[in-house]
Amino acid sequence: MTRQLRPLPTLFAGCWLALVLAMAATNVQAAPSRLVADLSQTRVDITSGYHGTELLLFGAYEGVPGDELVLIVEGPATDIVQRRKEKKAGIWVNVETFIWQQAPSFYHMFSTAAFDRIADADVRRSAEIGPASGGLMLVAGANVNRGYEGGGDERTRAAEPTRGTSEQEAGLRRNMTANGLWQSKPSSIITQQNMLFRTMLSLPSNVPTGDYVVRILHFRNGVALSERTTDMNIRKAGMSALIYRFAHDYPVFYGLFAIAFAVASGWLAAVAFRRG
Amino acid sequence: MYIYLPIAEVSMHIGIIIGLGGGVGFLSGLFGVGGGFLMTPLLIFFGIPPAVAVSTEANQIVASSVSGVLAHMRRGNVDFKMGGILMVGGVIGSSLGVALFSFLRSIGQIDLVIQLSYVVFLGIIGSLMLTESVRTMIRTSRPGAARGKLHQHNWLHGLPLKMRFRRSTLYISAIMPLLLGAFVGVLAAIMGVGGGFIMVPAMIYLLGMPTSVVVGTSLFQIIFVTANVTLLQSIQTQTVDFLLAGLLLFGAVIGAQFGSRAGALLRGEQLRGLLALVVLAVCLKIGYDLVVRPEDLLSVELLR
Repeated sequence: MTRQLRPLPTLFAGCWLALVLAMAATNVQAAPSRLVADLSQTRVDITSGYHGTELLLFGAYEGVPGDELVLIVEGPATDIVQRRKEKKAGIWVNVETFIWQQAPSFYHMFSTAAFDRIADADVRRSAEIGPASGGLMLVAGANVNRGYEGGGDERTRAAEPTRGTSEQEAGLRRNMTANGLWQSKPSSIITQQNMLFRTMLSLPSNVPTGDYVVRILHFRNGVALSERTTDMNIRKAGMSALIYRFAHDYPVFYGLFAIAFAVASGWLAAVAFRRG
Repeated sequence: MYIYLPIAEVSMHIGIIIGLGGGVGFLSGLFGVGGGFLMTPLLIFFGIPPAVAVSTEANQIVASSVSGVLAHMRRGNVDFKMGGILMVGGVIGSSLGVALFSFLRSIGQIDLVIQLSYVVFLGIIGSLMLTESVRTMIRTSRPGAARGKLHQHNWLHGLPLKMRFRRSTLYISAIMPLLLGAFVGVLAAIMGVGGGFIMVPAMIYLLGMPTSVVVGTSLFQIIFVTANVTLLQSIQTQTVDFLLAGLLLFGAVIGAQFGSRAGALLRGEQLRGLLALVVLAVCLKIGYDLVVRPEDLLSVELLR
């Protein structure tokens, strides 16, 4: 089988071959594992040179013609503040704030066909396909203290959480798609012989850090046959982690250090260019 | 080559960062201004979160002010007594400004207040500078025109707590510079600027200081105001991006050298006229952004 593959980078071919062999081995043991998935990288380090990256998501499944696959990469849940602007006295002003509670900070989904062709809405919801499939809750008219680094503590709530309407969810989806954190990519999974699959995951430069879950679902005739999950971790590393931790763990020293650095370099510049 | 900014949490091309520093540094060398009023809006334009842009720019201005004040100190153009009083006011004002900044951010209005402050203050200062420089250009082209009085006595000179400022040859109430320092301090903290563009004209026209000492004295007090903003923002919001500040600084140091050389080729009123046009252009751009309908009326921000 593998000899019939189209020319591919040797890495991909190597991975695929290994998977096929692994599947063949498991089949012999009569404990059919119908779905295997892996990533080219299970840990992504955000170093100073990071400017987004691409990961290969690949695996093998036991399919028949007509089978479909759905692949979901989900980031850690977080509260998301959403604001709405209105024109007041000739200028555009934020007039309304609401907080989406524990919504996915990152949600990219891939499939072999249009999502509504793979399974109907109820099945997709019960299989938790879609960033809002669990039903997102929001607090309207909320006041968010320290919006940027909130940390989840100092929030005063003006109202009890309510379920977001489909209109509100569409607004959230639009914003999150625009900033690249939520993506829906139907027909983006490439399959071979109903056995192998692969797709590319593009992590944007503003990717949230934390623990990610990669889920792969195998559908036949609109029903989910099996599901596998695998973990991925994205974290700051190297100098960018060092600066971030310094700023957050020792804020006073960080501030003093930043001032000292500025004074020293300003002085150096003055001295250097006076002689020059 | 892209570089990931650990506090801003975005990646930016290193050439853009150094280029921004160099370009704004060139203009600041050319006109003898800090350039914060250009840099902060540009950083926001390039996708740096406003809170990070304001705090990081404060950090960078510390360096450029230290660099600038040394030259003025050598020529004895710093009134330390006046600078000290402005500084006390400035530290109080900027502390209030940082608190106000946090509050405005919590209610989702910080972007609006930053933009409005820019439109109002750049608009006022830019128009005043433009009229003044055009008048001077017309006056110098007509020989024999009468010169106005250097400074006039007004109600401000009736305030208590009078002090003598030898370097500025002034005998005025300390309340005035204290209030001026505090007012500019609040603006510096909110707008991510040093505030020289307001401080310098205010020192000349409001306090009546001689023009020879205003720039040095203004730079001297800006060091403390921006250092205070850097420290308070580091403690309260962790929004000072040290890596970004360092790279901007690198570009700015080089740009400022070329700028000051280019500045020597132009006359004072020509420079002021050009600066006025730059200031008004920034004002109009930000004003336009406030008026034009945004692409999406909804916006999101992730909390962590």
